Amino acid sequence: MEDKEKVMTESTVRAPKSTTPSTIKTPENAGAIGATIKVTIDGKEVRVPMGTTILNAARMLGIKIPTLCNHDDLCISGVCRICVVEVEGMRTLQASCAYPISQPIVVHTHTRKVRQARRHIIDLLLSRHYGECYSCVRNNNCELQSLANEYGVDFYRFGHVDKPTYGRDNSSYAIVRDMDKCIMCRRCIRTCIDLQEVGVYEAVERGNKTRIGTFMDNPMAQLICINCGQCINRCPTGALHANDPSDAIWAAIDDPTKHVVIQTAPAPRSAIGECFGLPAGTPLTFEMNTAMRYCGFDKVFDTNFSADLTIMEEGTELILRLYKALVKKEPVALPLFTSCSPGWVKYIEHFYPEMLDHLSSAKSPQQMFGAVIKTYYAELNNIDPADIVTVALMPCTAKKFECNRPEMNSSGFKDIDYGLTTRELAGMFQETGIDLLNMPKSDFDDPFGTRTGSGVIFGATGGVMESAIRTVYELVTGERIDKLFEHARVIPVRGFEGVRYAELPIAKVGPVPDILKHLIPNWDWLKGATLKVAVAHGTANAKKVLDNIKSGGKLSECHFIEYMACPGGCLGGGGMPIPTNEEIRAARARAIYAEDEASEVRKSYENPAIARLYKEFLVDGPCGHKSHKLLHTHYLPRGKKLV
Amino acid sequence: MQVLDRTKIIQEISDLKKTYGDDRSALLPILQDLQETYGYLPDLVMQETAHALEIHPVEVEGVASFYSFFRRKEKQGKYVLRLCQTISCDLAGKVNVARQLENELGIKFGETTKDGMFTLEYTNCLGMCDQGPAMLVNDRLFAKVTPDKVPYIIVDCRRDFLKSDFPKIVPSDVRKSGPILSHDLKPGEGLKAALNHTRAEVIGIIRESGLRGRGGAGFPTAVKWQLAGAAQSDKKYVVCNADEGEPGTFKDRYLLFHHTDMILDGMTIAAYAIGAKKGFFYLRGEYLYLKKYMLEALEIRRKNNLLGKDIAGKKGFDFDIEVRMGAGAYVCGEETALIESLEGYRGEPRNRPPFPVDTGFQKNPTIVNNVETFLDATLICVKGAKWFNEHGTEKSKGTKIFSISGDCEQPGIYELPFGITIAQLLKEVKGENAKAVQIGGASGKCVARKDFNRTIAFEDISSGGSIIVFGPSVDMLKVAINFMEFFVEESCGQCTPCRDGNVKLLEGLKLLEKGRCSVTYLNELMRLAETIQLASKCGLGQSSPNAFLSILENFKSEILGRVPEKA
Repeated sequence: MEDKEKVMTESTVRAPKSTTPSTIKTPENAGAIGATIKVTIDGKEVRVPMGTTILNAARMLGIKIPTLCNHDDLCISGVCRICVVEVEGMRTLQASCAYPISQPIVVHTHTRKVRQARRHIIDLLLSRHYGECYSCVRNNNCELQSLANEYGVDFYRFGHVDKPTYGRDNSSYAIVRDMDKCIMCRRCIRTCIDLQEVGVYEAVERGNKTRIGTFMDNPMAQLICINCGQCINRCPTGALHANDPSDAIWAAIDDPTKHVVIQTAPAPRSAIGECFGLPAGTPLTFEMNTAMRYCGFDKVFDTNFSADLTIMEEGTELILRLYKALVKKEPVALPLFTSCSPGWVKYIEHFYPEMLDHLSSAKSPQQMFGAVIKTYYAELNNIDPADIVTVALMPCTAKKFECNRPEMNSSGFKDIDYGLTTRELAGMFQETGIDLLNMPKSDFDDPFGTRTGSGVIFGATGGVMESAIRTVYELVTGERIDKLFEHARVIPVRGFEGVRYAELPIAKVGPVPDILKHLIPNWDWLKGATLKVAVAHGTANAKKVLDNIKSGGKLSECHFIEYMACPGGCLGGGGMPIPTNEEIRAARARAIYAEDEASEVRKSYENPAIARLYKEFLVDGPCGHKSHKLLHTHYLPRGKKLV
Repeated sequence: MQVLDRTKIIQEISDLKKTYGDDRSALLPILQDLQETYGYLPDLVMQETAHALEIHPVEVEGVASFYSFFRRKEKQGKYVLRLCQTISCDLAGKVNVARQLENELGIKFGETTKDGMFTLEYTNCLGMCDQGPAMLVNDRLFAKVTPDKVPYIIVDCRRDFLKSDFPKIVPSDVRKSGPILSHDLKPGEGLKAALNHTRAEVIGIIRESGLRGRGGAGFPTAVKWQLAGAAQSDKKYVVCNADEGEPGTFKDRYLLFHHTDMILDGMTIAAYAIGAKKGFFYLRGEYLYLKKYMLEALEIRRKNNLLGKDIAGKKGFDFDIEVRMGAGAYVCGEETALIESLEGYRGEPRNRPPFPVDTGFQKNPTIVNNVETFLDATLICVKGAKWFNEHGTEKSKGTKIFSISGDCEQPGIYELPFGITIAQLLKEVKGENAKAVQIGGASGKCVARKDFNRTIAFEDISSGGSIIVFGPSVDMLKVAINFMEFFVEESCGQCTPCRDGNVKLLEGLKLLEKGRCSVTYLNELMRLAETIQLASKCGLGQSSPNAFLSILENFKSEILGRVPEKA
C-alpha cells in the first residue's frame, strides 16, 4: 500500500472564509536569519518564528492570557477583545490572538489598562447575557462564567437584562439555540462556514442590533443544518446546546412495563471521564457499563457489534458493486460512500443530491442495532418490541435527528427511540450520584457482548475504512492482513489529515467464503487489482473530495470512501465533552486504538455474535432479502433550496 | 405581493455576473441592481444570488442586513425619503421637518404608506452639512428643507417629478480658496508630469512634499506607496476612499464634482508609482447622484488615453478604474472595512497587521487614499514638493480643505493651512461667539472656548476636514446624545467594546438627560470610554467615545444634575 498522498489542490475548490484570516506566513526555514524574533512578555524572553501570535508566544512562556472568541480549531477573529495586552510603543491595546509578531516587541499582559479593559469587556458581555448560571446547561463548564470568576465580577456593573429577547429555539431534534445567552464570539459562524462548509449562521444586522442569525430567521429544524453539533462544542456559553432527551429516558426507566436497553458507541467511553475531571483519553468502558445498569437500564449493549454488522453489509455492498462494474459491466455508482455518519448523510442529501446513488444503502450501526434489538433480540427473549425502549449513547447530535427519520422503522417500530450524547449521560450519572471513577467494572450484555476492535475503531476517522480493509482483504485473499500491516494496524488510513488516500494491491485471491458464496462465484476478477480508498473528516473536507470526484480528479478512481461529518470522526462529535481541540481528539483516538489492540476480535467477520446472527436470523446472508428490509435504507435528495 | 419567478431571477443574476464578475466581490453591485429591480431583496433573490456565487444564503443576508440601503423585508415605497439625522442637520431644525413629514404622510419613520408610494427613513450624514436639513428622495438631494416645503416635495413626488425638470441643488460655497482649490490644471496634466519621472522619483517627490493622508489619520502617503510598491505581487490595487461619511464633512462631494480629473489623475499616478493595474473608486451610497457623473468622466478619460492601455503613450502602463457604490455604512470609511466591502463582505474592519499595503483587496497589496490626498498628489507632481510644503507646520505640511457647518455666519468649504488656531478659524467663518467646536466629526474632539488657541494639525488636533461650530445656545448633552446614537448605529458590531460599550455610554447620557446619573457611575462610564478607546478593534471604535469624553470633560457642570423637561 502506498503512503498517504497529497491529492487535493487548494486551487480547485472555493476557499470558504467567514472572516478574513490575518496571519503572516511563517518562513519555511525557521533557521534562516531573521526567521525568529525575540519577544519579551512580562519580563520573560523567548524567540519565536516570525508570524507567531502574541498569544502563542505567551503560551510558550507559560503565561496565561484569557481568550474567548479564539479557538484552536478556527481562524483568527479578534472580536471579543478579552485577550488584549499592552505592547510597548503602541497607543492602543492589541488583541494577542490576532497580532502576528513581525519585529522584536515588549509585551505586558496585566497592566492597569489591560485589567480594566478585560473587566469592562466581561461586564459588558454580562450586561446582555440573559439568565443565571444555576439554571444553565453549561454551569461549571462555561468560559464566560470562568472569566467572570477569574476577574472578580461580584455585581453587574453595567446592569443586566432581566427579560429574554429572542426566546429559545428547540425546533431541532439535535441543536437548541438560546440566543439570549449569545455573547457574539462568532465561533459558531466560523465553525459552520469554515470548518463544516454548511453555513447555517452568519452575523446579521449592524451596530448594537448585530446578532447571529440564520437564513430568514428560520428555526433550526427548517434550515440546511446537518445537526453535526460542532457549533455546540465550540460555543463558550450555553447559547447552543443539544436537545436533551434524558427526562424521557428516565420516564421509560421508571415505567416497569418498559424494557430499556442502551447501546454505547465507541467514542463516548474514551471521553466521558472528561466530564468528571479526568484527562482526555481515559477509557472508562467497563465502569460506565456498571453505572448505566445502576441508573436502571435493563441491558447494556455495545454498538461495536452493529459496527461489525455494518462492515459485513457495507463490505458486501462494495464487493457487489465492484463485481457489477468489473465483471458484469453494468452501470453502477462508484466510489461507494460510507453512510455511518448521519451528519455526512444529511450533508450529501442537501448539497450533492445528485450523488446519492454513491451512498451505501446500509444503515448506520446505531440504526442497525435498533432494528436487530426490536426483531431478533425481542424474539430471542420473548419481549414484545412495543415494550422495548432503545437508547443509543452516541458522541453525536446528528444521531438524534437520524433516529427520528420517518423511514427508520422497518421492523414496524422505531429502530432507536432516543439518541443520548456523552454529555447527557454524564448528566444522568451526576443526577444519580454515581461515582463513575470508582464504579466496579462490568462487561457488556450478551448476546452482543464480544469485545471487538474492528467495531471500536469506528470512533476515529479512518476507522470504518480500516475495519472494512481488514475484513474485505481477508475475505478476498484468504490471508491474514497482519502480513501486510503489523498488528493489523492499517496506518495509511489513520491520522488527522483532512483527506487521506491509500491503495491496497490484491496480489492473490483465495476461495470465496461460505457467507458470500451465493453472491459471488469466485475472486479471480480481483486478482492483481488495486483497491483505492480515501478517507475524509469534517464536511469541508468532504466537499473537497466530492468536488474532486465531480471534476474527474484522482479521487474519482477510488472504490470506497469513508466520510465523517465531524473533525476527527466520532471522537470529535458534537455530543462529546466540551472543550475540544486537536490535542484532546488525539488523546481520545489513542484510547480507541488501545482498546482495539486489547480486543479479542479485530476483524468484523470473525465476531462470533455476527456469525450467529447470520446463522440464526439473517439467514439469507449479507445484503440478502431480510437484511435489506431491516438493515438498509434510502435517502432523500433534499437540495439546498429553502424558498 | 408580486409573484417571483425563479427562472427569471436566476437568469438575471447570471446576466449580472457577466457584468460584475463571478466571484464574491460582485455581491454588492449585484444586490444593488437586484434591489433596483425588485424594490427590495426578497428571500428568494438572496438565496439564488448566494447559489450563483457559491456562498451560503445566510452570508448574503448578513451582507444585505449590514448596509442600511438594502431592504430585506417589506417592499419599499416608490419614493424613499431619507432625512439626515446627523448633528449639523439636527442643529438646523431636522426635528420640525421630520414631524411635518410624518404629518403629511400619516406614517412614522421606518414605515411605508399604504399606497406603496412613500417610505420614511432616517439616514446618517448626507454630506450637506452646510445646507441642512438635507433629505434624499431616491437619488435626488434636497437641501435647506423647511417644514413648509415638505408638502410641495411630496406633491412633486406624487406627480412623478422624476420626469419633470427639477432644479439642481445649490452647490456648497467655497468661502476661501488656497493653492489647492485655485489650481489651473487641465485633465491629465498632473499625470503626464508624473510619467516623466520614474516610479521611485514620483514617490520621492511625494515624500519630499511631506504629504500625509487627508482622511484624518495622517499616515505619510509616500510611505504607503513605497510599501505597496515594494510588495511582491503581480496584482496590486489603488482604491480611492470616497466614502465621505464623517458627520460634518462635505468637501469630498465638492471635490468630486469640481476636481474630478485631478483626483482620477492622482489615482493613476499612484497606480504608476506602485505598479497597479486596477483601481476602485468607492463612492458612498448617499452620493449615488454622482455615480453617473463619475462614469462619464472615466469614459472621457478612456477616450483620451488617460486610462486603459499604454496610458498617455507610456508603453506598458495599463490601468483602469471601476466605480463601486457603498450602501450606507459609515464604518466602510475605515480602509480595511472598505476592502471587505469591495470583496463582498460585511464592512467589518480587519485585524491589523497585516496592513492593506501588504494584504489588501483579495490578499493583494492595496493602497487606500482619501479623495483629497489624490488631488494633492496630482498638484504636487506638477508644481513640486516645495510649492506644497511652504504652507503648514513642521509635521503637517500643506493646506487642508475643511467643511465647516453649524452656528456660524459663513458655513461652507475653506482651504486653510495646517497650524491655524481654532480662534483664527472661527474668525474666518464668522462664528466667534461659539462655545465649542467639534473638530474631526463624530469621531473627533469637542474643543471648548478655553482651548481655542489650540491648532488644527496632525500633531495637535487632527481632522479629516469636518468642523462643526456650536453656538452659545446649543445643549451640549443633546450633541453628545446625537453622536452616541450615531456610533451605536454605525458600529460594525463585531468587537465587544464598541458594540456594547457605546450602548452603555448612550444609556448613561439618557440618564443624565433625566438628571438621574450619579457622578460615581459617570466616572465608571468615563473609564469605560477609555477602554473603548484602547481595546476596540479598529479606528472607528477607538475614536467613538472621543466626543462623549471631550463633551463631558468640558461641560460637566452644564450636564450634571439637570431637571428634565416635563413630558
